[in-house]
Amino acid sequence: MIYLDHAAATPVLKEALEAMMPYFSDVFFNPSAAYLPAKKVASDYEAAKATIAHAIGAKASDLVITAGATEANNLAFTAIQANAESVLYLATEHDSVRRIAEQCGGTEVKVLSNGIIDLSDLKSKINDQIELISISLVNNELGVLQPLAEVANLIRETKIDRMKRGVKTQLLLHSDASQALNLLDISVSRLGVDLLTLNAAKVYGPKGVGALYVSHDVRLKPLTYGGGQENGLRSGTENVPGVIGFAAAVKHAKEHVNGNRKKYAGWKKILLQELKDYELINKKHTLDNFIVLCYNGLDAERLIFLLEDRGVYVSTGAACATSKGVRSHVLKAIGLSDSEIAGSLRISLGRTNTEEQIHDAARIINEVVQSEKERVKRNG
Amino acid sequence: MGKSFFHGAKVFVGMSGGVDSSVSAMLLVEQGYDVTGVYMKNWSKDLPGMKCPWAEDLADAKRVAVKLGINFEVWDFEEEYRQKVVEYMLDEFKKGNTPNPDIMCNQEIKFKLFFEKAKERGADFIATGHYARTLALEMPPSGHTQGRSAKHMVPRRASSSAPVLLRAVDDNKDQTYFLYRISEEALAHTLFPIGGIKKPEVKKLAEERGLHNAYKKESMGVCFVGDVGMKDFLKEYIEINPGEIREIESERVLGYHEGAIFYTIGQRHGLCLDGEKGVVNDGLPYYVVKKDTKNNIVYVSKNLNDDNLWINELELKDVILRTSDLSILGPTCQPVFTGGSFTDGELRRPGHALELDKSPVLVRLRHRAPLIPATFDGKTIYFDNKIKRPASGQSAVLYDGEICLGGGIIA
Repeated sequence: MIYLDHAAATPVLKEALEAMMPYFSDVFFNPSAAYLPAKKVASDYEAAKATIAHAIGAKASDLVITAGATEANNLAFTAIQANAESVLYLATEHDSVRRIAEQCGGTEVKVLSNGIIDLSDLKSKINDQIELISISLVNNELGVLQPLAEVANLIRETKIDRMKRGVKTQLLLHSDASQALNLLDISVSRLGVDLLTLNAAKVYGPKGVGALYVSHDVRLKPLTYGGGQENGLRSGTENVPGVIGFAAAVKHAKEHVNGNRKKYAGWKKILLQELKDYELINKKHTLDNFIVLCYNGLDAERLIFLLEDRGVYVSTGAACATSKGVRSHVLKAIGLSDSEIAGSLRISLGRTNTEEQIHDAARIINEVVQSEKERVKRNG
Repeated sequence: MGKSFFHGAKVFVGMSGGVDSSVSAMLLVEQGYDVTGVYMKNWSKDLPGMKCPWAEDLADAKRVAVKLGINFEVWDFEEEYRQKVVEYMLDEFKKGNTPNPDIMCNQEIKFKLFFEKAKERGADFIATGHYARTLALEMPPSGHTQGRSAKHMVPRRASSSAPVLLRAVDDNKDQTYFLYRISEEALAHTLFPIGGIKKPEVKKLAEERGLHNAYKKESMGVCFVGDVGMKDFLKEYIEINPGEIREIESERVLGYHEGAIFYTIGQRHGLCLDGEKGVVNDGLPYYVVKKDTKNNIVYVSKNLNDDNLWINELELKDVILRTSDLSILGPTCQPVFTGGSFTDGELRRPGHALELDKSPVLVRLRHRAPLIPATFDGKTIYFDNKIKRPASGQSAVLYDGEICLGGGIIA
């Protein structure tokens, strides 16, 4: 198997899995219970949260643990105080942002043809009703890195202008950084974000665990009510093994950021050299583990099934989009034609790969593309 | 299977992602047809609590097509399906009937719009994964099939009236109940590649050829209703209208229902009866025996012998007789099965023509229900013994041995 879809899911790191195991059975106690063994679990949990928080330059108390990035993104939108038309979000956001933003009457911000935010479009759309701007740090289909610091600057200027004019509406920056931790050293203060989404499943941690960083001056509303865990924002007995695994995965990612960048850059170079007859879609400002190839005139879904037969797993855009049978809104937003979208494949490199696999993958993809080209030609 | 008579002929095969249509496509490829797989997109809407699996089904169908190395297309009939099938179904329910949308889907979509479009695209045949067979009465000479348009391909004798629809070899899976209303023209150009083999064999073929969906759960009944019941689907479209449930013998009110149209004669589940009346909890179930849709009253009875439940005559409307002259199966005509092989003497060659004067027939009142002996005069079925009353709006399908003679809608 050559797995080239690490942006969809990552296998749990051995160290993370081992760290999690005792908390399923031996030390299973409810962190809220009064006796000492339970208190120990509570303190391990807090320590794990601190590890995750420190990785982004935050404190444990700034994090709300959730059941994944979708919930974290939804929770971030509870910061809005007015009911309608107070949200801006990037046209290329994941559905977990788009859908909740639509519910809040949000407005899309355009991207340029390279997938980078159109800052002038953003600027023109920040009126005095806008309370929240949501822009992912790394796009999940293209791997494009957004210039968040510039957005944060614009937000700061806008806030100053609002204060001068006596406008009291808050203005917050939320960013989904689910795809970022493997290759980026993240600091919430450097990014200038008020809310930041993290996802264990994309960094070799367990699925179903995520976190929302919440700056101390942001007020959220709970999505669920109950025992008041996670500062009252996310009731329910803590997912102790999940968070322990998340922390171990984050720690590992943090330590390997530089090594990963070098490794994936090298592999990307090999792929781009050895593959044939493609057009590279994400040319600039992207993380090196994301490679989006367009084979115009071919049907990428057919390529996926043919590659699957050869033991190579790739995807077209987001996995969630595929299962809904809709074309990628991300590729559409960067101005690709329907036929270009239909011919686009996403490769996302990761820990499971080796250099040998990269050479093999290039060869197999070339063969499959060739056979499909011949089939298309035969059919006129 | 052997090489087909129509080697190289152009076939559009409806592929649903299930094992039956996948194996059908595979057999056609192996028999040397020029095959294009088509996913018919008829319904894609999610309803509250009901996830429509169309995208997964489409992906499954496409994966098989790619594996077989054939072209694959999606044909969108969603608007037509809504008009011709869903609205028909809702109208019928509102009239108090219990319609069968699958029969309408075959008549209006699969063997009409799909067939027409395939014909436009130069098809010699369409194919589906139905368990059914056709009897082609006269074949054009072999080797002269390629590139010929459908109108030249009618495999029937000039003097005969229609191609013949036959029950599948697998009695347990026979789907002719759903096909009795499809047009002669479509049937004459339809292949049922698995009609001549049994389901376990179909599964085995899928496994042997590595078609991943050999183990896929079979979809039953109306595709878009999925795992939830018809009643839940209807509630999305038809407003709840509470009314009384009465005991037919006493007229006593035993409980309340959400609208008479949601209930079917013979139904015993889902009745919300008031247990305090002291008449309910003696262990015997109540059956719906009568619906008064005008006054919105559902009548129930514990008496399984209630006259309303049993009939020996059944009047049909919208009758379709597939063939009125069965003497076409004369000795000069060699039967050739277009799906599978003609194995034994299972075909009962009728020695009579179906006349409109009480001809003996076999009747099927539900998919997979046993065949009941009766006579039919072109409008009414007369049963030898009393049978449990089927719901109006359902279909009664008539057979003579293996041959599907046609049928009608229960009035």
